[in-house]
Formats: sequence, C-alpha cells, structure tokens
Amino acid sequence: MEQGEQVIVAGFPLALDRRYQAETHMWVLPTDPGRARIGMDPLGIETSGTLAQLSFVPVGTQLTAGRPFGQLEAAKFVGPLVSPVSGTVLAVNDAAAIDAGLTERDPYGAGWLIEASLSDAAGDLSRLLADAAEITAWFAAKIADYRRMGVIAQ
Amino acid sequence: MRVIDFGRSSPLRSQTLWHAIGYGVSAGAPVTLSFTRPAAPYVCIGYHRRIDEVDHDYCRENGLPVFRRMVGGGPVYLDAGQLFFQICLPARAVPAARAKALRMLLEPAVTAFRVVGVPASLDDDLEVCLGDRKICGHGAGQIEDAVVLCGNLIERFDHARAARVLAMADPAQRDQTVALMRRFVTATPVDPASFRAAMISAYAAALGLAAVPGELTGAERTAVAELDERFSSVGWLAGPERPAQPAGAAPRARQVKVRAGVWTFAATRDGAQVAASVVRGTVEQVWLRVGGLNGSTRQAERALTGVPLHSVAQVLTGFGDPGRRLAAAFATADPGRL
Repeated sequence: MEQGEQVIVAGFPLALDRRYQAETHMWVLPTDPGRARIGMDPLGIETSGTLAQLSFVPVGTQLTAGRPFGQLEAAKFVGPLVSPVSGTVLAVNDAAAIDAGLTERDPYGAGWLIEASLSDAAGDLSRLLADAAEITAWFAAKIADYRRMGVIAQ
Repeated sequence: MRVIDFGRSSPLRSQTLWHAIGYGVSAGAPVTLSFTRPAAPYVCIGYHRRIDEVDHDYCRENGLPVFRRMVGGGPVYLDAGQLFFQICLPARAVPAARAKALRMLLEPAVTAFRVVGVPASLDDDLEVCLGDRKICGHGAGQIEDAVVLCGNLIERFDHARAARVLAMADPAQRDQTVALMRRFVTATPVDPASFRAAMISAYAAALGLAAVPGELTGAERTAVAELDERFSSVGWLAGPERPAQPAGAAPRARQVKVRAGVWTFAATRDGAQVAASVVRGTVEQVWLRVGGLNGSTRQAERALTGVPLHSVAQVLTGFGDPGRRLAAAFATADPGRL
C-alpha cells in the first residue's frame, strides 16, 4: 500500500493521508468503503518506550471503540491497544507481532497493526481528527506537552 | 488507600489475589496496596513471553509450578525469601506515558527502601538499584481500567535456582547468566515488617491518601476463583497467540536479561555457535564454536571481548568465512526483544 504525504513536525513524522484519535495516538486509514487499516503514530510509540511485544485479538473478533484489540508491552508494562473504531478484525499484522520493532521503524507503513471492517464507519470516522491543519496542530501541541513534561527528549 | 496483607499464599494465590484486585479497582474499589509472600517456590512468566523460555522438565522434577501473569517482564523464580507488593490504581490516575507512570509508581518503593536503611535509587532504566545492582524486580500492566505495578523485597535470593529454571541449552550461557545474576542482582535483607510499614507510608504520602486496612470485596473473591481456574489452564499458560516465524527466517538467539542493560545470549547460525554476555552494550565474555578458524578461536574471542555489540561484525571480518558465519550468529541477538 502506497503511503501518502508525510510532514515532519518537531522531529516526528506525521502522515496526513489518514485520521487520528487524539487520546490513543491511533491512526485510521480508510482503505475501501467500510474498511480501514489501524496503526499507532510515532508519538504514541515514543511515549510507550521501546516496544518489546505486540499481540492482537484473533481475526474475526468484534471490535468496540474504546476497548482493546490487543496488547503492547514496553518497559515491562503491558497495556491495551485501544480501538478507535467498532467493527470486526479482518487481518492482523503478523510481521509486527513477530517483530514489534517494525512498528517503531515504520509506524505508518509496514508497522500497521490491524485491518477492520467498520460497523459504523460514518460515525466512528467523524469522531477522529481528519483535517490536515487540525492534525498538524494537535500533533505539534502534543509534542510540546510531552517535551515540557520530560516524557520525550528535547 | 486500602491496604491488604495476604501473608503467606500458595504459589497460585500469590498471583491471583492481586490480579483480582486489578479487576476490583477497575470496577471502583479503592486504590490498593497489597502484600504477599509465596508459601512455596514457583516460576512465573510475563504475559507475552514464550513458554519455552522456562525449563519445564526441571520445574516438574523439582515440584515448581509455572504460572503466567498479566503484567510484563520475563520468567522469574519466586520463593518465600521474597516479599511481594502490588500497588493498584485506576488507569485514569496514572500518566499515559509509561516511563512517567512507572516512575510515579516506583518512586514510593525507593523511598521505602531508604527508610529502612537501603540507599536505593531509581536508575535511568527504571530499575530500583543499590549502586549498579538490581534489588527489586518489577512488572506492570493494565487490567481492564486499573493499572497495577508489582515488585518485591528480596530478603534472600537463590541466584543458581533463578537461572536454573530458565531454558538454556548452552552451558556457557547458563554459567555466565548465573555469574551476572550474582553480580547484578542482590538481596537487601531488611526487616520485612519495617519495609511493609515504610511502603504503606510512602505510597499513602505519594498518592495523597490515607492508608486503611481492608479486605477483598465479594466481587474480588469471585474474581479470585475465576482467576484460579484461568491461571491453572493449559491455554492460559501457553500465552497469547503468536504467528510462526516465516519460513527461512533466521532462528532467534536465546536471550536472558539479568537486569536492564545486562544480558546473555546463545545463538547458532550456519554451523557457527556463539554464547556471550553483554553489559551496557559491550560484549564482556564470549565463547565461539565454529569450524575453520584453525586454532584462532581464542584469538577471535579475545578480539571480541570489550567490543560494542554493534561493532562485532566489523571485528569478525578479519576471520574470513568462519568470521562471517559467527557474525551472522551474533546478528540474531536483538536487545530490543529483551
């Protein structure tokens, strides 16, 4: 899958061809009508620490927005990968489950997490950040926040 | 802050009791600090770790049960010489950035160690240390909408057994793992009652809460029963489903982490065998077995000693085809997977 436009915001790459859930740092890239690929943005990854492991629910599992679709382990802390949408898991990225570093190295491309059919595409997608200017402003503000809090390097 | 001291618990209950608190806190029970000491030795493996990292034959022969926990980290040996503590609070009360969350949850434990006379510190790797030695193993995780961090006061530590329960086919790796454990993991045999009291004060102060003795709720007791069953099942012990390595992919090195930045590995590739210890990114000791070095094996081992791991391949270029195969074996080690 080709990647669209990316910009660099305060040292972090930001893809502008997809939508974002601000709270979870998950991106959603619609691929076909009612279908999307989901991943984590580099800022979410950076604030998690070095990714040690990723695991996903099986293909066919029902997704509920706000509930986990897998687990991420970093710094001996296991936490949920929270779904930004509701629907059904169509595919999981086995390559990322085998090598979580793939998601660190290529978060917008080969390091995607799952693909899903969306049960309420219009509703779920409308709740995500979609406008390039809005996404860029949110991303820049989060970087500034995390740097101020000492969560990421200056 | 609810405080529950479970005293001595069976190996299974020393896990399921505090996991049940996770579900309780997620459902609205108060922030809880709990303590327990396993009544018998056992082995516990982190949520994501491969079950074949444990030497099951040894554990079976020595009556050591093996359980999988819901928090992170590797396989560990637990016994009555370790007092375990768990702090559990709603996820919304913990910073979303993990490093920040771990620091917040570990700093009171460091304070408690200091109160009882152990000049502990929290290092940049978020290990609770005395100098460069780890004195408290920890793991953390989110159970529904609660975050739990667990750790221990190590009063006595059986380094040999802690290494023996791990599956390591290469004796050189096992020997070096025991040696590094003795060097980098140490017990702090303070009075456990004083440590417990210091922990309660430190966490209450850090969280701005009054400490109140408590007990499990009815729902938590129900959760314990469910968790007893889950944690005893073969399916749970096997761990989360993981995809198979692609055909033709290089076999992964067997890696054992001793503490952050200190680890051993053993690997075989193209007939070349390597076992090595790595301390802060540098190869400290290495054992090589490969055909074709024609008596220069010791020379290659000496050449690699003290070399940064990322420079190993460059050093081995001076050893021809055997060096290339050894470099390929080294390349299967990945500190990112520790």
